[in-house]
Amino acid sequence: MAQDAEKVIDHFELFRGAEYTGMLANKKSMFEDPVPAEELERVTEWTKSKEYCEKNFARECLTINPAKACQPLGAVFASLGFEGTLPFVHGSQGCVAYYRSHFSRHFKEPTSAVSSSMTEDAAVFGGLNNLIDGMANAYSLYKPKMIAVSTTCMAEVIGDDLNAYIKGAKEKKSIPMDFDVPFAHTPAFVGSHVTGYDNVMKGIIEHFWNGKAGTVPKLERQPNGKLNFIGGFDGYTVGNMREIKRLFDLMGVEYTILGDNSDVWDTPGDGKFRMYDGGTTLEDAANAIHANATISMQEFCTEKTLDLIEAQGQEVIAFNHPIGVEGTDRFLMEVARLTGKAIPDSIAKERGRLVDAIADSNTHIHGKKFALYGDPDLTLGLAAFLLELGAEPTHILSTNGGKEWEQKVQVLLAGSPFGKGCHVYAGKDLWHMRSLLFTEPVDFLIGNTYGKFLERDTKTPLIRIGFPIFDRHHHHRYPVWGYQGGLNVLVKILDRIFEHMDATTNSVSKNDYSFDIIR
Amino acid sequence: MSDLRVKVQQVFDEPGCAANQAKPTRDRKKGCNKLLAPGAAAGGCAFDGAKIALQPITDVAHLVHGPIACEGNSWDGRGSKSSGSQLYRTSFTTNMTEQDIVFGGEKHLYKAIKEVVEKYNPAAVFVYQTCVPAMIGDDLETVCKAAGKKLGKPVIPVNVPGFVGSKNLGNKLAGEALLDYVIGTEEPEETTPYDINIIGEYNLSGELWQVKPLLDELGIRILACISGDSKYHEIARSHRARAAMMVCSKAMINVARKMEERYGIPYFEGSFYGIGDMSDSLRKIAQLLVDRGAPADLLVRTEVVIEREEARAWQRIAPCRPRLLGKRVLLFTGGVKSWSVVAALQETGLVLTGTSVKKSTPGDKERIKELMKDDAHMFDDLKPREMYKMLKEARADIMLSGGRTQFVALKAKMPWLDINQERHHAYAGYEGMVALVREIDKALSNPIWEQIRRPAPWENVAMDDELAIHIA
Repeated sequence: MAQDAEKVIDHFELFRGAEYTGMLANKKSMFEDPVPAEELERVTEWTKSKEYCEKNFARECLTINPAKACQPLGAVFASLGFEGTLPFVHGSQGCVAYYRSHFSRHFKEPTSAVSSSMTEDAAVFGGLNNLIDGMANAYSLYKPKMIAVSTTCMAEVIGDDLNAYIKGAKEKKSIPMDFDVPFAHTPAFVGSHVTGYDNVMKGIIEHFWNGKAGTVPKLERQPNGKLNFIGGFDGYTVGNMREIKRLFDLMGVEYTILGDNSDVWDTPGDGKFRMYDGGTTLEDAANAIHANATISMQEFCTEKTLDLIEAQGQEVIAFNHPIGVEGTDRFLMEVARLTGKAIPDSIAKERGRLVDAIADSNTHIHGKKFALYGDPDLTLGLAAFLLELGAEPTHILSTNGGKEWEQKVQVLLAGSPFGKGCHVYAGKDLWHMRSLLFTEPVDFLIGNTYGKFLERDTKTPLIRIGFPIFDRHHHHRYPVWGYQGGLNVLVKILDRIFEHMDATTNSVSKNDYSFDIIR
Repeated sequence: MSDLRVKVQQVFDEPGCAANQAKPTRDRKKGCNKLLAPGAAAGGCAFDGAKIALQPITDVAHLVHGPIACEGNSWDGRGSKSSGSQLYRTSFTTNMTEQDIVFGGEKHLYKAIKEVVEKYNPAAVFVYQTCVPAMIGDDLETVCKAAGKKLGKPVIPVNVPGFVGSKNLGNKLAGEALLDYVIGTEEPEETTPYDINIIGEYNLSGELWQVKPLLDELGIRILACISGDSKYHEIARSHRARAAMMVCSKAMINVARKMEERYGIPYFEGSFYGIGDMSDSLRKIAQLLVDRGAPADLLVRTEVVIEREEARAWQRIAPCRPRLLGKRVLLFTGGVKSWSVVAALQETGLVLTGTSVKKSTPGDKERIKELMKDDAHMFDDLKPREMYKMLKEARADIMLSGGRTQFVALKAKMPWLDINQERHHAYAGYEGMVALVREIDKALSNPIWEQIRRPAPWENVAMDDELAIHIA
């Protein structure tokens, strides 16, 4: 036996032993009716061809390896940015288990969210009772300060009315009448996680500003000179939020972060479980109405939210996940303009350091071709940074990007000689990307953890930037915004370039004449 | 007078060095070893010079006798490439400690030589003397001699404690070590009328490999390259070459001259940088070989190759020319590179606004003057501060230099291209010139330069405000 009770071998080793390799080979030849090796080889090669690429792009119904997640995932993300808030997803519990594991795998932190655990009878008769019972249980079990309700598809398909149901729950005394329960309908069959973020952010703001679902008078806006900031759905939220707060503090800006997830996904290991940690206080969320202006770092995450805020009379500014010198310049200039605060020397020095770092390393990135995919705003921010570095983005793909995104990317590309020859793919998936990487190869691929399959198949080295990053730890702790963040992204890119250089020159007596100490 | 001092004296009195010969007798003996100004930034020492000159010999163990400092800081710092053994990149040192300094390091050294021979069986061991063992009186030559006898291996003493002088002196002392202990100690299996030595070429980034295919095509054999991508036995047999090319004019002139003296191998000074220079070098190699009895058709065949390669190179450079035409270049490098690169860059339409001549010979300087006509700005020893000022005043569009001055250029917001030893691209031959032009083109067009010269946007606003106040 390959296994021995005294020394049980794990999966890394077990099936590599002679016993298993022999057995599996036998099984294949004797029972699996395998195609001949040459045929397998032929088809494998064919999937790399131009012809296959055309067939692949002619796909109409099947989505293969989509690079997007569903609305309620974004809903849970947005909810968790508020103080003591329990995300409550009305619908089936399986969906919610996914969101919790998804975030925990990315952030390596526990993520709290509950569902109304709808089952078949609820699907037939409506989920009212589940919501009423669920509210009562969640309130007494987890003692939140606020419950933010969103929905899964199951509740949306049968058309459950959250507004009425929440009123019903309050009438049934599941929760106190004045308890804050903002809500948003977040069906997965519309949009993606960025839409869900937008809907819940809008729902929470609307709740506090517009009279808490008709239970109190609407707030009257009295401009107080402050600035609101919304980060959007962002896998780097822990590092980014702290970086933004540091920059605001350096400038002396008075600000409110709407949806600050940085502490809840980075709780200290001091023996204390924090179900809730940090976040925007409910009072601040309400008072945010009085700000002069709101900045969103991610336009496509906050379309409806910004409309609502603008309607209150605030100036709203939206960026597309700005990364690098120019992106950060524009962001800080807007902050300075909106608040009348000067940008201090300490930030000017950070800028100078990033510029210096790019100059020091520019030859290694200049002219390299990149494919990238991810959320609409992130791809825009990254593409702008690549152009700034003299890299040549070649394929830019966003499964949850639409027409408007595509046009924005085209405008960005047209503004730089390095953007020539780049194609933009809205609504396409990672199987499309696979074909592109074969038919029009690039030097490097930027994407989330799922890009590792593309890296394996096409041998295009992957630079992990995006969400989710499951197979590398702690990247979310380092910002990608601000000049410091730009430096982090630069280093991520450079590290991969040098690792690749080492990996392709390290064969002893074959190519190690280029295995250099100095790069 | 110690052996080392005699050696240094000899090296200084170098008939092959025009600068030296131009001096009155008394000064000639003093040599060209400029005294360093204490407290001022300075370059490498004699040990460093010897190490970089010899480290490209690939199949030997380079053993540094000294505390960790010398080898620790220079381990594999030279990008000279090997087509065979990688042994030269392994770091061997006696790693002297206090104990050795009190009791002497000779036994330690002997054992180290023994161990390296037992464990690696190298073609030879090159043992480098450094300051500390020289000061405590370790007798390198005697230890090496004893070890060589006992172990049956060539053990070559390279007596170059850093304190004897500059890096350039170290280059020369390295050459002396080869002349004294290696060259002429073995006989080649066969010789041909087409055998040459290339002296002072180090195969940095594989530059020799850009040239070698053309020599191969012409049937010219590199008997030994001193020292890029070379093997010990090739250098030991190099005295049977028919002609030699001297590439880096100041570094190993003593080797070329003494080989001519001892073995009658004629040499010329040439360069592989630039299309014109490359062609000239091929012509001169062919001519020297024919002069020494090779069949005359070599000359014709050489011209055919030159014509073909020049056309091919120009054709590949042409797309970059419009972007480079009239762009101003500041060149900071040493020795032969200054004039050979000047010629090369001018060929592509670039304008040279200045070049350093720090390590150049009078001959080099003459060539530069000739090439750059009236606008020859030659700088002997430009300090970083002055360099910065020049760049800042935008008297150039790009600076080409070695890694140590890179940061001056970058701080002055100036595009910069590495043309010294730590670079990653090979620029020799026709192939290399195409690569150099492409790299310059890339460096000039990188968007970061525009960014780096622009003030932060808020500074603009501040300036506008100030202006507004003035106008008001």
